[in-house]
Amino acid sequence: MATVPVTLARPRTRPLISWRVHKLLVGYAYLIPAALCMLATVVVPIGLAIKMSLYNNVLYKPQDYHFIGLGNYLRLVQDPVFWLTLWNSVVWVFGSVLLQFIAGFAAALLLQQTFRGRALVRTLTLLPWIIPGVVVGLIWEWLYQPNYGVINDLLMRAGLMQERVAWLSSPDLAMTAVVFTNVWRGIPFFTIMLLAGLQAVPDELYEAAQVDGASVLGRFWHITLPLLRPIIVVATATRIIWTFNYADLIFVMTGGGPANATQITSTYTLVQAYSTLDFGYASALSVVLLLVMLAFTAGYLRITKGVEEID
Amino acid sequence: MRRGGPSDLAERLLAGPVVWVGLVALTAFALGPFLWMLLTSLKDRQELYATPLQYLPVHPTLENYVDAWTSTVTPFNRFFLNSLWVCSVTMVATTFVSILAGYAIARFRFAGRDALLLIFLATQMFPSVLLIAPLLTQWRTLGLIDTYQALIYSNFSFTVPFTVWMMVGYFSSIPRELEESAMIDGCSQFGALCRVVLPLAAPGIAATAIFAFVVSWSELLFAISFTTQTDMRTLSAGLLYMVGQYEVQWGQLSAGVIMSTVPVALLFVLLQRHLIHGLTAGAVKG
Repeated sequence: MATVPVTLARPRTRPLISWRVHKLLVGYAYLIPAALCMLATVVVPIGLAIKMSLYNNVLYKPQDYHFIGLGNYLRLVQDPVFWLTLWNSVVWVFGSVLLQFIAGFAAALLLQQTFRGRALVRTLTLLPWIIPGVVVGLIWEWLYQPNYGVINDLLMRAGLMQERVAWLSSPDLAMTAVVFTNVWRGIPFFTIMLLAGLQAVPDELYEAAQVDGASVLGRFWHITLPLLRPIIVVATATRIIWTFNYADLIFVMTGGGPANATQITSTYTLVQAYSTLDFGYASALSVVLLLVMLAFTAGYLRITKGVEEID
Repeated sequence: MRRGGPSDLAERLLAGPVVWVGLVALTAFALGPFLWMLLTSLKDRQELYATPLQYLPVHPTLENYVDAWTSTVTPFNRFFLNSLWVCSVTMVATTFVSILAGYAIARFRFAGRDALLLIFLATQMFPSVLLIAPLLTQWRTLGLIDTYQALIYSNFSFTVPFTVWMMVGYFSSIPRELEESAMIDGCSQFGALCRVVLPLAAPGIAATAIFAFVVSWSELLFAISFTTQTDMRTLSAGLLYMVGQYEVQWGQLSAGVIMSTVPVALLFVLLQRHLIHGLTAGAVKG
């Protein structure tokens, strides 16, 4: 009889690690694959980029590889093309995002209406957004083509132009042409975001305002805009960052030319890496790009915090 | 209440003609360029370079598609298979990795959880040009240039942060009690994840997976940087390669453009349905 309590007590010996610690370890184990992915493809490469930016590292001159401290950054400050690309980036980002926003908002208001075939139209109008950047660039290169492009043809038939225009190889027009292409591509992003916001606005608000005699414009100004404000801020900021970083479209369409007319900072980084094979300078450029983005994100977080507090 | 005033007229105009004109303009603007590319791809060389411009192909032909697909200089069938393989593997691996990480972040309280989430968010804002030089150096050191691995691993840099972020959202919306009762019934934590959580999150996971596929399909800069052989080009890289090859063959190129667009367009239609499904499922539960 006396031995029974002993056998009963035996399972109560403390486990090697407590249940809570065990659970925590399992949690960390689940994170390992994702952490490894990030470590190998983001964290280590960024560290490497910072290191590379401190070296003279031109691929075809391996004998000149040596530490030069902030040399690449000093060169960058004195490089007039760098300052030009920063300005071009501002034009590119501001032009693209502003026009995408206005057109995307208009599109969202249209697609918010009830009409037959709405689901189909919604899907079709989003297509420019999901196709590869190369495809967008090539489609528009063909549309802009001076001799066989349909844009010149249509404009001349309509009597708006007397002679053919080389859209992408004229320094005055190239930026407008690539921005317009990017607008075509990016409208659906704002449409999706704003449409989701519009659908969340309760109908009763509009009905009440209508009873009070508010005009269409008044309802838009006093109900729609204030309620969509948080979404507008988030969508615009994300889009600004994305457009600033985005290099594919310009790289495909003009390669930054003619004479750097469409060279934005991110494509300039690519050109330095691919054409001059100057990885040190290219890395310094990309680190600056990253710093600009971090500064913008910090400012953006403060603004959105402000928005949340107001709401 | 005012009736019959100028605002009433504005309203009737806005509800009727303005909406219709706007919708037609919007659809035409979005689809016009695709349509023009499709028409181009069906023209033979003579019609393609006719002056004055010939809008509709008089003798529509699929020659351009056949030429692009079987070309030996720019083997489109090879590009297509390369893209399909790279994107599929990226999709499967990304989904697996982000399910585990998303579940851990949504369910376990551990030190550095918020910091980790912030890192995943911030990574999405990094310029991809930042990664090209260091990744190229890294893959070269590891002897991975001209391999599928280099492209797949590189794709993780932009797919994983986003999909983890999405998964955290899906898993957080599933009530914890469901797993807890499964675990009381004798399921392990992993068993509960597989048998209870995953089926509930399936629509969201499908949407995330397709998203990873679509963004990998668009990837260009890694594909041109980490491959040197024509045989290793993906569709995006291959299309760019076609342009650089000789005098631009717009007929073949437009066929290539259409062929690269169709798969993602189809997937997108699928993605939309899943997304809506996921949203409504959440709404019904909530």
